[in-house]
Amino acid sequence: MAPSKHIPGNYGRKLKWRMRHLTAAALCCVAMSAQAQTPVFEIEIREHLFYPSELKIPAGQKVKLIIHNRDATPEEFESYELNREKVIIGNTQGIVFIGPLKAGEYPFFGEFNPKTAQGKVIVE
Amino acid sequence: MTSAVIIVLREVLEAVLIICMLLASSRALGLRFRWLPPALLAGLAGAFIYAVFLEDISQAFEGFGQEIVNAVLLLLITLLLLAHNILAMREFKAPQIARLPTLSLLILSATIAMAIVREGSEIYLYVYSYGVVAGDITSVLSGGAIGAGIGFSLGTFIYFGLRTLSARHCLLFSCIMALVIGAGMSSQAALFLAQADLLSASEPLWDTSALIAESSLPGELLQAVIGYEASPIATQVGMFAGALMLSVAAMGIGIFSVRNLASNPEAIRTQRSNE
Repeated sequence: MAPSKHIPGNYGRKLKWRMRHLTAAALCCVAMSAQAQTPVFEIEIREHLFYPSELKIPAGQKVKLIIHNRDATPEEFESYELNREKVIIGNTQGIVFIGPLKAGEYPFFGEFNPKTAQGKVIVE
Repeated sequence: MTSAVIIVLREVLEAVLIICMLLASSRALGLRFRWLPPALLAGLAGAFIYAVFLEDISQAFEGFGQEIVNAVLLLLITLLLLAHNILAMREFKAPQIARLPTLSLLILSATIAMAIVREGSEIYLYVYSYGVVAGDITSVLSGGAIGAGIGFSLGTFIYFGLRTLSARHCLLFSCIMALVIGAGMSSQAALFLAQADLLSASEPLWDTSALIAESSLPGELLQAVIGYEASPIATQVGMFAGALMLSVAAMGIGIFSVRNLASNPEAIRTQRSNE
């Protein structure tokens, strides 16, 4: 069925096909503009430590957090206060959306190295 | 070593709860335990595959493959627990005459396998990369064994606790456990979807961390049983309530589906002769 979409003269279908693509493109634009308004923050994991270990983010707003794991070992970014958990394989990066949050301090840690890998998000 | 104990115990706890609860109700449903080893094996194999392909899975869906797989697994387990509640209530209402052994086996095995996949993959990843690759094998393995040991003892305690009940009370209690565990899991699924920005998140509705901290032992236990969250978002609360209601409805459906069998000796005889 799929190739018949492009048969010349099959206007109804062609129009439908075009409309579908236009809608998809429009949706993409909306999604991208929404994306653009979300502030992005980055942290790194090196030698089982977070850099920076304190991160300031705005209150009442969703934030995109990119976590780069520079170690060869996997780490689980985890926070009871932020209600987040994500495994980040060694030498890769992971994205976690956090918030919106009220002002305050929200500790996070690396579950696989809970003694050293600690940090906090400061919402203000 | 202590971190290994805690990591493994935390992961094991949730799966152990589900496994022991289902073992107890499987016994009350008159099933033998032959289904258990294949279910455990399937779960462990799934956990291994999930862990090995975690990098690819994580990169899929624009970097949110992990969240999607976790949410899907959690929601599937919730659905399977609903199905368990239908079966358990059929048996509760009409003991020994309305059994669906094959279906029950499939549902119980699938639930256990999926519960193991999620938790097992993290344990595998931890033990492999910190024990085998980083060379800290003794402390990781001994710590892990202690953590798993504590988890399994707790499970044995729950299983034999449930076994002291009569079959019908055991089924009822398992249903209530399944109901709460399922609600907790669907609330957790909502969290994963919010983490991936697939569900819009609001500010948390309340914060009870001063009362029971999630990181405390009671907090961890509550987390495993009811999916306790000190500061939940609205979607989580909605999912929790929705799953609770669906689960109660499933129990009602179970009872309703055998209402004629339970009070009709003729139907019982036909059912028995068909077996």
